[in-house]
Amino acid sequence: MQSELFDPGDRVAIGASGGKDSTVLAYVMKTLNERYQYGLELFLLSIDEGITGYRDDSLETVKRNQQQYDMPLKILSYDELYGWTMDAIVSQVGRKNNCTFCGVFRRQALDRGAAMLNVDHIVTGHNADDIAETVLMNIMRGDIARLGRCTAICTQGEDTVRRSKPFKYAYEKEIVMYAYFKKLDYFSTECIYSPDAYRGHARAFLKDLEAARPSAIIDIIHSGEAFEVKKEVKATQKVQRKYPPGASESNALCKACTLLEGLERGMADSGTTDRGRKRLDEAGPAPENIRTIPYFKLPSGSPAIAVETPS
Amino acid sequence: MASCDNPNVDSDALMTRRQKYDGKTKICVKCKEGAGNIVIRYAVYCKTCFFPLIQMRFKKSLEPSINPVPDGARRKTLKAGGSLVVAFSGGTGSTALLDLVAKTYFPVRNNGETLKGGKDHPRNADQGVWKGKPAVCYVEVCGAFPGEKDRTEEIQNMVQRYLGQPFEYIPLRLEDSFDPMWWSTIRGGESASFARTLRLDMTDEDLRLTEASSSSFNDSPLNRLKAYLSSLPTQTAFHSAIQNLIRLLLLHIAASRKASHLLLGTSLTSLSVNLISGISQGTGFSVSEEAKEEWYPQPGRGMPVRVIRPLRDIGMKECAMWDWWCGLRVDGQTRHLNGSWKHAIGALARDFIFGLETDYPATVSTIARTCAKLAPKHGSEGTCVLCERPAQDGVQEWKSRISIRSYSEASSAVSGNTRPPHLNEEEISNLTKPSASSTPANSSLTPHLCYACHTLLTSRSNRGTSAPLPTGRAAEKISLPVWVNATLAASRSPGGDEDSTPGEVVQTIKMRRVDMKSQISELLLADD
Ligand SMILES: [Zn+2]
Ligand SMILES: [Zn+2]
Ligand SMILES: [Zn+2]
Repeated sequence: MQSELFDPGDRVAIGASGGKDSTVLAYVMKTLNERYQYGLELFLLSIDEGITGYRDDSLETVKRNQQQYDMPLKILSYDELYGWTMDAIVSQVGRKNNCTFCGVFRRQALDRGAAMLNVDHIVTGHNADDIAETVLMNIMRGDIARLGRCTAICTQGEDTVRRSKPFKYAYEKEIVMYAYFKKLDYFSTECIYSPDAYRGHARAFLKDLEAARPSAIIDIIHSGEAFEVKKEVKATQKVQRKYPPGASESNALCKACTLLEGLERGMADSGTTDRGRKRLDEAGPAPENIRTIPYFKLPSGSPAIAVETPS
Repeated sequence: MASCDNPNVDSDALMTRRQKYDGKTKICVKCKEGAGNIVIRYAVYCKTCFFPLIQMRFKKSLEPSINPVPDGARRKTLKAGGSLVVAFSGGTGSTALLDLVAKTYFPVRNNGETLKGGKDHPRNADQGVWKGKPAVCYVEVCGAFPGEKDRTEEIQNMVQRYLGQPFEYIPLRLEDSFDPMWWSTIRGGESASFARTLRLDMTDEDLRLTEASSSSFNDSPLNRLKAYLSSLPTQTAFHSAIQNLIRLLLLHIAASRKASHLLLGTSLTSLSVNLISGISQGTGFSVSEEAKEEWYPQPGRGMPVRVIRPLRDIGMKECAMWDWWCGLRVDGQTRHLNGSWKHAIGALARDFIFGLETDYPATVSTIARTCAKLAPKHGSEGTCVLCERPAQDGVQEWKSRISIRSYSEASSAVSGNTRPPHLNEEEISNLTKPSASSTPANSSLTPHLCYACHTLLTSRSNRGTSAPLPTGRAAEKISLPVWVNATLAASRSPGGDEDSTPGEVVQTIKMRRVDMKSQISELLLADD
């Protein structure tokens, strides 16, 4: 909290998954807010991916948190936002690339949810282990753009709400310990569609590193904060990013929209492979009637929707 | 295609498991004639095309860095500013490197002589790429591993075939880094700094330095090396400290020979291992140095040495093929990465990368390419005395801010390790208090260290090291490598050159635990 993340009176949404990180985060945020009179207005924001048997229990936890912590809760489902549940997506794309869909959709869903709640800020429960894993993954995948920003404690895209990770330096073990001592109940469950073997390797490696020397997790984050993308690389990257082959700036789609368009047109691989993308482009412009994601407007005025308030 | 108006259009890099090799193509992609003998990054090559391919990559990685000032697009003449040192370990990479260097730049003429009249003949003085006699340098590490055999002669036999050429063989030993005589020899008699010598207190969290007179300096360099290594808190530190010592021995020997280039046999695979290993140990600030480095000896110690890894674009497998097809004898395993050190981060990174290379062959080069696009975020403020790489400013404030130490205490408390059970938090913080804030920077090693080296000396784990201290050695009086001593001594001597005072450049304010705790008290809300 030293990073001066919040201003008094801020409306803050806590990304709540029902897992340990977000459960502890909600508890800590509430406790600090009351103890030090931060004057924050706190909300719980939960994303329902629509995976049968995976979210049901954790959403129950979130609903219980809503009662316990006396915070308004908004549950936003993929179904509501995109017209597709993850179950439906998996039945079309298979299990190979479903994590790409899920990750991209979740990120955007959080933004949309935040807009609906009209909050200034989203906080998520990403802990030090998550950040270290992301640093490694981005290096291994050559994702220079993400590598540059993944260690930032607070990020704000051009079209997104401010996002922060207050647990950036908290070890996963510490969070578990905290939840244990505070007797917080949470759900520990792995996504049933998840076996992302590649990420799994990185995660196992990170656990080995931590066993060899516990500071490794923080040391990786320190490494991530100490370097940046070279200026000359940054410059070429911007150009490539804004004008992909065959697209000008005005008709470029964001990842979420590409994925959605692919799904809607029955060419789901367009968002995950170059070949698929080419096929989609060759198939001509998108029909008028397919679902698209409404463009996000920065919040102003009162909440756009009613939220469930604790009864 | 419709537009979504999202200005933050982003490309999501996705790792798909690419086919290693479809098994169908059998013809060399280069000459389209020869039957394929080897698959390199999804492409098949015949044996005839393999050699020029590897040599081309080797030259491409090396030659743009040979001339002191790069002469742009096409090279005219290759003319280095100094002599050449090739590091040789007997492993796959350095065996291929030495062979490539010899064949490319020192080809044997018909009469067996490289140049008529000998290389010292004035007529030939200006003909080679590098000045003077090139050296092959080997560092024997058996001193760190009791029971290991000394391979100095064996290695000499391995490089023998090149010694008829102008190469000179320079065997070094790991313990030379603790030998004032060796230092004095390569520094051309510089020994004044050893009138007093510094000892490090490894039991002190602030890494306190004390002075010892040289009369108490009768321990052998080997014993000092052993004491230094076994005082380190983790196997990771033990392993990395040895890598550091080897690197600096090579750099200092290169500087002493007025070398402009030190060549290392790091393959693409090893480079990725080193990068991941380094990042996991907090060396992010100097990540770009891992592939390409220009080392500036401390002021007054000579001209910069370029450390080049000409095999950095060639995989380990290709290096092995080169050695095999050229009939070169390669020493088997990197010894010190096995046995009880397999839990060191360096060894874990190696296993991790080797594992990935099998399933995801593209990853290894992706890691190297990604890291080549990185630069330190802030300018360099000084040089670390231990690794002599650029050090970042404000490292200690950073460590204090995230209270990394309180975590190691907390975790030890949970696992029932290292923390004195009879002391409470307050007593522990009192223990470390007197040596804090009021300590002048020069009596602690901390302000002279980069993040990774400070972590190396202080970060603990439950496993610890397995090597016991040699008898008669106390962890309070650990000798430091000779160059650390020389640098610190220079910065301490009154009226010394201002530029050679890293203590003033990298100085940071050490925080007391009570202050740290007050800063993070908001986060420690479990106290109620
Ligand atoms: Zn979009
Ligand atoms: Zn061929
Ligand atoms: Zn260092």
